[in-house]
Amino acid sequence: MTDDEDPVIGDGEEDWYGDADPRVPDASPWPNRDLAFLEEPPPQPEPSPRNPEAELRELERRVEQSRTPVYFDLHKRLPLEGVWRRWRSLAMWGRSDVVDDFGRDPRATARWEWLFEFLYSKWFRVQAFGIDNIPARGRALLVANHAGTLPYDSAMVMHAVRRDHPSRRDVRPLVEDTVFHLPFLGPVMNRIGGVRADPANAERLLEKDELVAVFPEGEKGMGKLWKDRYRLQRFGRGGFVKLALRTRAPIIPVAVVGAEEAAPMLGKVTWFAKNIGIPWIPVTPTFPWIGPAGLLPLPSKWFIEFGEPIDLSSAGTGAADDRLLVNKLADQIRSQIQTMVDGLLAKRRSPLFSAFLG
Amino acid sequence: MPSSTPSQGRVVAVTGACTYLGGELLRRLEEDPRYSRVYALDIRPPAEVGGKVDFIKLDLTQPTVDGELATLLAKTQVDTFVHGAFLSHPTHAAEWAHELEDVGTMHVLNACSGVQPKRLVMVSTTLVYGAHPKNPNFLTEDAELRGHRDSRFVNDKVRAERQVQRFAKEHPDVETCVLRFAPILGPTVSNMYTRFFSRPVAPVMMGHDPLMQFVHEQDAAWALQKAVDSHATGAFNIIGKGVLPYTTVLALLGRVPLPAPQIAWRQLTKVLWATQLVGSPPSFLDFLLYLCVADGARARRELGYAPRLSIKRTILDFLGIAPEDGATDVARAMG
Repeated sequence: MTDDEDPVIGDGEEDWYGDADPRVPDASPWPNRDLAFLEEPPPQPEPSPRNPEAELRELERRVEQSRTPVYFDLHKRLPLEGVWRRWRSLAMWGRSDVVDDFGRDPRATARWEWLFEFLYSKWFRVQAFGIDNIPARGRALLVANHAGTLPYDSAMVMHAVRRDHPSRRDVRPLVEDTVFHLPFLGPVMNRIGGVRADPANAERLLEKDELVAVFPEGEKGMGKLWKDRYRLQRFGRGGFVKLALRTRAPIIPVAVVGAEEAAPMLGKVTWFAKNIGIPWIPVTPTFPWIGPAGLLPLPSKWFIEFGEPIDLSSAGTGAADDRLLVNKLADQIRSQIQTMVDGLLAKRRSPLFSAFLG
Repeated sequence: MPSSTPSQGRVVAVTGACTYLGGELLRRLEEDPRYSRVYALDIRPPAEVGGKVDFIKLDLTQPTVDGELATLLAKTQVDTFVHGAFLSHPTHAAEWAHELEDVGTMHVLNACSGVQPKRLVMVSTTLVYGAHPKNPNFLTEDAELRGHRDSRFVNDKVRAERQVQRFAKEHPDVETCVLRFAPILGPTVSNMYTRFFSRPVAPVMMGHDPLMQFVHEQDAAWALQKAVDSHATGAFNIIGKGVLPYTTVLALLGRVPLPAPQIAWRQLTKVLWATQLVGSPPSFLDFLLYLCVADGARARRELGYAPRLSIKRTILDFLGIAPEDGATDVARAMG
């Protein structure tokens, strides 16, 4: 039928459509209905002989397709999707998408490794003794003395065990609140393994058979002045002993020598510090005189000694609630670390010069 | 109203049937032969109602709703009451929110103390612990409910929880169970966090990067179903698998972080909230500063709930990125 020829029209317009009325759904008569669904599906073209590259390309294409973000649009590719994807991969640089329960990021740890290695072997020239006292597996509580404006000592203890211990164990240092909540520094310490000093956190870590390092002097240890160097302060309230008793973890005393000279604190200013959220502003030979660079440590010579493990598991179950016993044990461990520190200090030939030229 | 036959199976009443969790629970109970009847209580009918589900219009902000509810519970012989009528995102209508969450819970408990169903399940959130610098990395159910300063959204839920705690103490015959859900993310759920993460940019408190925790919507719905099924009592944290730092979450989401000092963000969000341009109040910024991560060991032990989907899978699901995508490592797969 050409366009010129009018179709034969009946009396009413409705008649013309007949069975094929497009306004009535499914009105085509039976024989004309599409019966394709009853028939065998057409034979699929035989897959070409295995071509790994093509298969990979096809797989990649399907992955690409499946990656369209639902937020922007479900079906259409959005104009900036390439930019968005590039941004996502860029933003993930230097961080991993899995961190452990306490926030240590393996990729970030690896990223800072060179800095610790430099500080350890070149800057502080650390010598570590008795590293074999740390068990190859199982929980243990490292108890160390504390000094310095920034916690370089915990970083060095951590690095010493990771570097020189035969099973390369990771130490989780407990970090005081004041340092943990410092802007920039706090998150970095958390990513490389630091944990906020909280009894619940420490207990959870020890239950998971990790190595935990505590610095029971805490803020008092960091706030020591130069004239009080290497005089150990009160060991908190003995919380670390309770922790060891409750979790039956052996205590390993650790003495760190050199941290005091790395950042000798000549004085501290408290009147403005509270306003910016820190307990004091340290005054060292370099800080704050030369600005933030003054926070860098001086290149003192360091010694770290790991003592024999002290097993407290014989003390019994109720021992953690015995305040007198806890305090006595805390003081014993404190004096043992003091003795170890004094021994290491005696190793240095002259107190001041060998502190730097070891 | 069809009369129920408790001998045939359990009868459940669900407030907040139109919320995501309420709707999922209805769907799951519909398929479960142990439940004979489900009453969906809300101010509008839920989207999909099966044969078992009856919708009953009920507005918890009405002053005499407790009487109505008590009559209803007595007539229908409800044995399990699920209280899920809580807001999933803050609102400027603070008075109404207070009536619904705090006073509404009072009405529910009034009705329950009269009729005493066998079991009462309440939906809450881990935000009730509050973001606080002294929070341990994992908050257990025994932790103090600090709530959140200047946030009625959180504090109304804390008050509701306290009421339920008191109710549980006074009515030991009723098995009372509170589920504290970590922020729920997923492709279909809508709440404060999904809205927050839907924006192309996100505020970052300069120099701070707390760990965050999310639970996948399917895991959350499964946990609620488990809680309705079980006889466990007390509070349970319903959490997802794993934690991630906030900035890593933003990187996985592909959102642009806008780092600025705290003071700047606080002032800016105050203005944005006052002008009703954003859905999260200024106090929410505390959750970008400090930890508020819960521990799910108790739910695993007593409820038999353990999260199945990791935080990364949850985030990718929220984005609509299919699981076939480079199985473990986005950065590598996309590089």
